[in-house]
Amino acid sequence: MEKLDQVRACRHWLCQAAGMGGHRFLKELEKTANPESIYELARTGRLEEKIGRQYQKKAAQLTQFAREHEAAEDYQKLLERGIGFVTFRDEDYPAGLAEIPDSPYAIYYAGRLPEANRKSIALIGARDCSEYGRHMAKLFAQELAEAGVQIISGMARGIDGIGQRAALRAGGYSLGVMGCGVDICYPAENRSLYEELTAQGGVCSEYPPGIAPRALLFPPRNRIISGLSDGVLVIEARRRSGTLITVDMALEQGKEVYALPGRVTDPLSDGCNHLIRQGAGLITSPQELLTELFGACPQDEPCRQQKLVFLEGRQGRLLQLLDYQPQSVQALQGRYEEQYQDYLTVPELLHGLMQLCTGGYARQVSGSYFMRSGE
Amino acid sequence: MLSTITSGAVYGIHSCMIQVEVDVSQGLPCFQIVGLPGSAVREARERVKVALKNVGVRLPPMCININLSPADLPKSGTMFDLPVAIGIMIALSCLPQESVQNTLLLGELGLSGELKPVRGVLPIVQEASGHGVRRCLLPSENAWEGRLAGTMESVGVRNLKEAIAYLRGEKAGEETIDPAASYDYSAALQREYEESRLDFADINGQECLKRAAEVAAAGFHHLLIVGPPGTGKTMLAKRLPTILPPLSLEESLEVSKIYSISGLLQQTHSLKTQRPYLSPHHTITGQALAGGGKIPTPGIISLAHRGVLFLDEMTEFKRETLDILRQPLEDKQVQIARSSGTYVYPADFMLVGAMNPCPCGYYPDQSRCRCTPYEVRRYLGRISGPVLDRLDICVEAAPMDFQDLAEHREQETSARIRERVMAAREIQKARFGEGTIRFNGDMGAGEAERFCRLGRQEKSFMEQMYRSMRLSARGYHKILKVARTIADLAGSERIREIHLAEAVCYRRTEQKYQA
Repeated sequence: MEKLDQVRACRHWLCQAAGMGGHRFLKELEKTANPESIYELARTGRLEEKIGRQYQKKAAQLTQFAREHEAAEDYQKLLERGIGFVTFRDEDYPAGLAEIPDSPYAIYYAGRLPEANRKSIALIGARDCSEYGRHMAKLFAQELAEAGVQIISGMARGIDGIGQRAALRAGGYSLGVMGCGVDICYPAENRSLYEELTAQGGVCSEYPPGIAPRALLFPPRNRIISGLSDGVLVIEARRRSGTLITVDMALEQGKEVYALPGRVTDPLSDGCNHLIRQGAGLITSPQELLTELFGACPQDEPCRQQKLVFLEGRQGRLLQLLDYQPQSVQALQGRYEEQYQDYLTVPELLHGLMQLCTGGYARQVSGSYFMRSGE
Repeated sequence: MLSTITSGAVYGIHSCMIQVEVDVSQGLPCFQIVGLPGSAVREARERVKVALKNVGVRLPPMCININLSPADLPKSGTMFDLPVAIGIMIALSCLPQESVQNTLLLGELGLSGELKPVRGVLPIVQEASGHGVRRCLLPSENAWEGRLAGTMESVGVRNLKEAIAYLRGEKAGEETIDPAASYDYSAALQREYEESRLDFADINGQECLKRAAEVAAAGFHHLLIVGPPGTGKTMLAKRLPTILPPLSLEESLEVSKIYSISGLLQQTHSLKTQRPYLSPHHTITGQALAGGGKIPTPGIISLAHRGVLFLDEMTEFKRETLDILRQPLEDKQVQIARSSGTYVYPADFMLVGAMNPCPCGYYPDQSRCRCTPYEVRRYLGRISGPVLDRLDICVEAAPMDFQDLAEHREQETSARIRERVMAAREIQKARFGEGTIRFNGDMGAGEAERFCRLGRQEKSFMEQMYRSMRLSARGYHKILKVARTIADLAGSERIREIHLAEAVCYRRTEQKYQA
């Protein structure tokens, strides 16, 4: 085995042995000795003698791990599974990550890692997003990807997944930063996205393969999302949410934060509006963001953030009443009467709404709730 | 000497004529009852002995044998006390055998000789009238049930003494009972109508919900109401019987029979005129729901026959309990097998379920609901699919606006909605004739294809719907059935686009979260 590979094998072994949250300890350790000698010491059971008192517990853990696992063998298996491994001492370690405080000791990845010479944006937001958020995530991801921007996100349900999927569909690159081993697809419902990402983009994690998703693993991965990006765009977020943790990390790392404004009454836009008030960049169209990133917008196109549809007659009037928030038929009936002084019976109203649904303008959320479609 | 008395017993919803044969002969003194008597029947011996003594008939020390024929059917209950007592008297030649010719006798005896009401008189009397019985002698509390058979003279007596006197021809039965007058059903209906205090006009707003209820009532479709707490789900379900057509006399007899068997008719002293409404608590056991006991008595689903079975908080019911509903929903009757035989009770009810949309109850209102999609899906998954599939109409109750509560708009009364429902039912009656299918809700896939033909324009509309809504074949037929009812309500021969659109709205949406 070549020299380089041997060092990597030992580092992979160290990552597994130290377990999650071990990156600080491992970086400390590497200041005193090279990974090969640490591995050798652990194997021969002499690590505890050589190591500082504060790390005795960790050293015991490493010695124990050495009895059961062999570095070269494990690394070989990793490579066979097509999982890439890069550590903070390697040249191919992402430059953005090297700069951040508390950078990960190593990164596991499947697919490709983002290219350093291209712009990257973290596109993040709420998991239980609204139709408006869904629409916006799609629109922004698509336009940014078409302009060659790499979309970094957390592959979560809601905004994250929608944005990443749209970026891939537009032929762009997207990276999913996971809170578990890269061989595990979480959430399971994003299985198809996971497969597309590993084929066309990439997924990465600081945790070794096989680590199951746990709540406490997710907040630390947010620093990787922001670390790999040139800026963070928040599509939709509540005031207290995981999304805002990523924003905090980004600010700590000195990254730009952008947010989409929303209605004052909408709890899902509360976080965004709050960020803007605190000084985040207000973004209303993908072009504005591209201007921010590149200095000038590549194509100076008017914003096409919303297709405004006008329909004739009753359908048109109904569509005007629909919103991106689900409304009950009863509420619509009341508002229709209020606005147009015309009382529609329930069958008439349902007929109109179903016509809008088949036309793709509206969506039946569940039973008697309807909303404007984000398509 | 030998005597034979006609009596009867109830087996499930069916009843059977029982001949009480009494023989008194010389021999060692004894008193025995054969013919598979249950303990209550066996104890008739003691009651009859004492009662006869107390009205002044002394039993001689002779061998008394009583046979309940057909002897292979197990007998239970106390209705054989009176026939046994009268049978003994005839056998002792205290009464002539001719006095009980073509006469049905039922009744429980007290020790003093007074007669007490018994269960199941109505089905027995109806059965008896088909067997050439022209007269029945009943406890006075049950006498009105006897009149319902129509062709029969019903005599109510208060005690054994009166019964003997009547049979001797000395004194007529209780004065208040006029054997000629038949039961006045329409008067009872009118009375019920005036007494009923529930009305659809009590519900403010909720137009969508009310409309769905009207459609469900018109086509006898099973209904699922989903909505946050406090939006009037229960209130609406309670008022459903008021918009269903009134029970016809035949229907009323069917329902009353079941109530008679359960011993629930005695308090009211009249036929059931209102459609039953039953709302069992979600802790109910399977036996209570379907009917149970050694000799099974009707369960909740049979008591709801021709009426409404309302399951509030449907997700809280045990899965096994709800699964019991599957067979009755299919066959419109429930079969209960016991060692003594298989009992069949009718169970043709309108199932109305109510449930919250998610654990917290506020989905899809995103400003209040914080349930994850997984939680919502799991919550809905608690009800078994086959039961949910039977519910043709699913409607959502929206939270009430203050305006709806405060503003007093003129609300439609139950009577007006009922008129429309009845008109739609007339159309269905003409369509289906006298077959097993009575309403649109009873149609299977084949009938749906036959009776719900679509025009070209409507077909292309449905095709569009089928694609864009990702319907299944089963879902498609359900929509056709409901659309048929909506068209019937509108008095339209053809199913039009507006009817289909509304029906599509009432389908159950499996909310699929896209990521």
